[in-house]
Amino acid sequence: MLRISKTEGAALLILLIAIVQPCLAGVYKTPGEVSKELKTVAVKYSGTAVVKKIAVSPGKRLLEVLELVTKRGNPAIFLIANMEGDNPIATSAALELADRLLGEWKGDLMKYSWYIVPIGNPDGYARYFSKPLYESGLNNRPVNADMDDRADEDGPEDLNGDGLITMMRQKHPEGKWIAVKGNTVLMKKADRAKGETGIYRLFSEGIDNDGDGKINEDGPGGYNPGHNFPHRFKYYSKTTGTWPASERETTGVLKYMFDHPEIVMALSFSRLNTLQAVPPSDKKAESGKDKYKVPAGIARKMGIDPNREFHLDELVELAREATGFRELTAEMVLQFLGVAAAVNPDKKDSPYWEELAKKYKNFLKENKLDGKRLDAKKIPGGSFEEWAYYQYGVWTFALDFWTVPVKEEKKEDDGLTAEKIEQMTNEEFIALGRDKIDAFIQKSGRKGFNADMIIGALKGGMLSTKKIAEMMRKMEKTKTAEGVDVSDKALYEFNKDAFVPWKRYKHPTLGEVEIGGIKPYAFVTPPSGEINEIISQRIPFICDMARMLPSFEINNVTLKRVSSDVWRVKAWIVNNGFLPYPTHQGKRNRRPAPLVVSVAGKDIKILEGKKRIPIDLLDGSGGYKEVEWLISVEDGSSLDILLTAPAVHNVRKSVVLKTGGAR
Amino acid sequence: MKKYSIILIILFLFACLLPIAEAGKVKLSFDHYYNGKDVVTTIKKLNRAYPHLTSLKSLGKSEEGRDIWLLTINNPKTGRDTDKPGIYADGAIHGNEIQATECVLYLAYYLLDKYNELPMIKKLVDTRAFYIVPVVNMDNRARFFTDPGGYNIGRTARVPYDDDHDGLIDEDDFEDIDGDGEILQMRIKDPSGQWKTDPNDPRVMVRIKPGEKGEWRMLGSEGIDNDGDGRINEDGPGYLDMNRNYGYRWMPRYIQSGSGDYPNAAKATKAITDFLVTKKNIAFVFNMHNTGGMILRGPGNNLAGFYPPRDVKVYDFLGKEGEKIIPGYRYLIVKEDLYTTYGDFDEFSYASLGIYSMVGELFMSEKEQYRGPNEKPESSAPAGWWGKTSDAEKQKFNDNVNQGAMFRNWKKVRHPQFGEIEIGGWRKFTTRMPPGFLLHEEVHRFSSFIIFVARHTPEVRLELTGIKDLGNGMKKIRIRLTNSSAIGTLTYRSIAKNLTRKDIVTIGGSGLKVLSGGIVRDIHFDRVDYVEHRPNMIFTAVPEFGKVDIQWIVKGSGKAKINFNSLKATDRELIVSF
Repeated sequence: MLRISKTEGAALLILLIAIVQPCLAGVYKTPGEVSKELKTVAVKYSGTAVVKKIAVSPGKRLLEVLELVTKRGNPAIFLIANMEGDNPIATSAALELADRLLGEWKGDLMKYSWYIVPIGNPDGYARYFSKPLYESGLNNRPVNADMDDRADEDGPEDLNGDGLITMMRQKHPEGKWIAVKGNTVLMKKADRAKGETGIYRLFSEGIDNDGDGKINEDGPGGYNPGHNFPHRFKYYSKTTGTWPASERETTGVLKYMFDHPEIVMALSFSRLNTLQAVPPSDKKAESGKDKYKVPAGIARKMGIDPNREFHLDELVELAREATGFRELTAEMVLQFLGVAAAVNPDKKDSPYWEELAKKYKNFLKENKLDGKRLDAKKIPGGSFEEWAYYQYGVWTFALDFWTVPVKEEKKEDDGLTAEKIEQMTNEEFIALGRDKIDAFIQKSGRKGFNADMIIGALKGGMLSTKKIAEMMRKMEKTKTAEGVDVSDKALYEFNKDAFVPWKRYKHPTLGEVEIGGIKPYAFVTPPSGEINEIISQRIPFICDMARMLPSFEINNVTLKRVSSDVWRVKAWIVNNGFLPYPTHQGKRNRRPAPLVVSVAGKDIKILEGKKRIPIDLLDGSGGYKEVEWLISVEDGSSLDILLTAPAVHNVRKSVVLKTGGAR
Repeated sequence: MKKYSIILIILFLFACLLPIAEAGKVKLSFDHYYNGKDVVTTIKKLNRAYPHLTSLKSLGKSEEGRDIWLLTINNPKTGRDTDKPGIYADGAIHGNEIQATECVLYLAYYLLDKYNELPMIKKLVDTRAFYIVPVVNMDNRARFFTDPGGYNIGRTARVPYDDDHDGLIDEDDFEDIDGDGEILQMRIKDPSGQWKTDPNDPRVMVRIKPGEKGEWRMLGSEGIDNDGDGRINEDGPGYLDMNRNYGYRWMPRYIQSGSGDYPNAAKATKAITDFLVTKKNIAFVFNMHNTGGMILRGPGNNLAGFYPPRDVKVYDFLGKEGEKIIPGYRYLIVKEDLYTTYGDFDEFSYASLGIYSMVGELFMSEKEQYRGPNEKPESSAPAGWWGKTSDAEKQKFNDNVNQGAMFRNWKKVRHPQFGEIEIGGWRKFTTRMPPGFLLHEEVHRFSSFIIFVARHTPEVRLELTGIKDLGNGMKKIRIRLTNSSAIGTLTYRSIAKNLTRKDIVTIGGSGLKVLSGGIVRDIHFDRVDYVEHRPNMIFTAVPEFGKVDIQWIVKGSGKAKINFNSLKATDRELIVSF
């Protein structure tokens, strides 16, 4: 409890400073200022803090990492902020984290090395400081987006001179949009089914620079390096890159991480939040299966039945027989079968993830930070966040800091929300009783269901409270009753200044238009006076996360004398941390490096057992593996049992082999 | 007098140099393999002998610091390379598939050597640009010649990787136990083994039938258990298969073994990708390998997406011609006829760069058959997994056609872990590659196929097909673009996915106002797809064996300049006066 009151104190202090020093327009540091600050930190904490260059963006900006290392060889936590380039508060939070780690948190948290990248996408981040203000996370690589004869020739223009790129609306027979009744700024799509006819066409603010009839179709930049990672990369998109890892920023991060095998966890500060909404668990990821059919052509060659399913191990054997190639591995066989990559978290990783999410939500609740707000952004393809889990194989979590608060709707009843149902067990849900469940079904608008069916499905295992919550989330409304986008409406209610009122403008090619709409970055930037508080209230959860990492011990050592100088040595390798090492997905992709157990001692001879015992996975909360050797050594010698791996704190256990002195 | 003598001496020297320059037309032979150094000195020699037609450039360095060489063949007198359709061909992305290098080296040599002799070659070299990377995997192809090895060893790039996931990297390679410079097979006497010697030929190993008594157990390739984990040779240097490391549908290792940490993680794949994006004129890519006697195209996997039927037609036309140019070779599709691959080069160049691409798998075991006319293979000796020639038949070829050069007979050796074993087997320069006397034909025929394809890269003619006076000073101008080749100016995949800029056809001239313009869909009924904006600029692609008609309505008089600007075909210009 002491810790929380301390951070609360710090938060209060920062709040006070924020009040005393009224925040100016430049609440966020420019890329240059961030770079300068990193240098200052490195000088102030020389010996611990070092700044290194990871890449240079196409806009010639530095992608830098601040390395905080108290002891070489410690496992490391990698934190990257703003990889998508459109979330300035994430960068501030990363700087704040570094500050805390070097200051008030320097105790046990610094037994990890921290690699902090405050700006993953410096070109994108720099756009926040550009004039006119234009929201985009693209880097500055010139791209011929419209495939004409030039690149970047038709970007937006600030026609009304307000310093912002907003929208233009033009009355047009083809228009699909209408203004919301009684509201001067909000727009909505006309719904013909409700008798509404479209009035306006919408464009982003600008002119047709190249005379091709299109407005702003080939603006400055670029690709988003935050969508350029090689997991679930979106091919043939205008913004993700020419191929995975085509962007320097992305390659820089990839290379840096593979050069640092000591990284045990990856964190991202961004618009995503993988603890608020946990990605669904493993459903039908092909690679997780263990039985496969063999494509007809290959089956014929191998002389096996193409209609039969084979166990993977069986196939490996059959393939070795058929090819005579003894070194054939399961991976090679999988590749022949054309199996696809996993796209959902491994089902054995999911429970840990969910538990951590629960802890996160409790943390928010305890600190009164759980007010209703708009959802975090959905995870895009090619994200850092997914790549680090699916391919780099470490625990990876993304946290966002702010979205537009949503006014709590008046509660008519006890309100069975998705969150509440998720927390319930199946039995608890059934215990609500028929009437309540029927009322719930009616309210959800699902027809053709009744309480008995739901109860039956829950009892029969076809349904679970988790699934109900998931279904509810999917059904959550994206439009308000009046037909406006829920998020637009929330923004309007939160801050009317986030909109530029529509004003008439004479456009060179479109003629009469109006310019207005949502201001750039309105959805991602909280009021400047609240930024520091928002960060300092939420950042302590990072401590909690670091304290859940795997942590190893060697215990239960038994020494049994077999003959005068021969000993049977047994020991347990135990993971006392909460999280397994590594993830099950990591085990599948053979990343990170395995734990290796070995013995050392003067003049010892291993009669039985391996010199090095690799362990590719150890569950958390006391997960263990027994190791064993038969060792020949002189009476009274000492023996070291060692646990080593780049991404864990290495452990050494010394024992003395002495007659009558087992243990 | 002195002056004259100096001039005479100079003249004399010059006269001496002339024949050298002429004879400097290097003579290369293709009855043997060029080792790592020989390849480099040879392409440098070619470059020196043909300075006006070739240029040499290093695309970057390999993992072990060797230059990855690019030889460009282009006649600058007929234009810049990027103004002509380009053909890219590389070899030995897999270090042990060595004759892939001889193939593209031969292609370069043949184009240069026959330039003055064969009008077809001269025309081709003058109108096309050739980009030849003789060796992609510089390290392992060089080591194939110098290190103890076997025909299956050295496929990948030397990027360290912990293959057996034991925390140690590259700690358990092969060993040349008997010190003969080759890594062959190990066998051990074992009555419970699954193999016995062929009663007709003791060199040949035969699988026992159920119930038969075994004689031998096969132990795999020569080597020892270096790291004491009970396995041999399970973690050799590297394992990054560069032909699985390119950026289209790249997959992590648990899906695609050898794919590397991320796309373009190898030096050569990165260097070649970076090079290819600078040469938008490349219209065809060849990626050379061994073995199997195949001309391959994608898709390589289920995710490779749609191959538009007209692209398939282009491939089919060329592939079927290839089957005739190289008898015995089959034109096949990777995913359907072989197996699933992700991140391979030809799929990348086709699907991401928009270039028609093919793979050549040189040599096949059928070339080592030993049969009389109408004779069928012996049924008692089953053929191997890849090949169609049994070991017993191959031994007869070895004895009677190759005088025993291909096989090292079993001999007793002491192995530190297995004890007494025997080592023997097919030698390094066999099985995946032809003996020298077959090499020349092999590389000539495949090069001829590449030359055939090169002749079919787009060749577009621009002609005026009509001017019609519409009165009021208005005129209708029609032009036609005709492509006589089997390859269009853009792939259909490229058009569908916006991979490359289309051809741009423009009309301009002082005193000329372009009122309208567009592609003519039907010349007889005057059906035109008019372009609303910028009608002076028409974006199009000229299809294979096809044409595009374009029409403008202009006002004014004088001269009009019509320009065809294409990335993958030579630009054309036409002046029309009216």
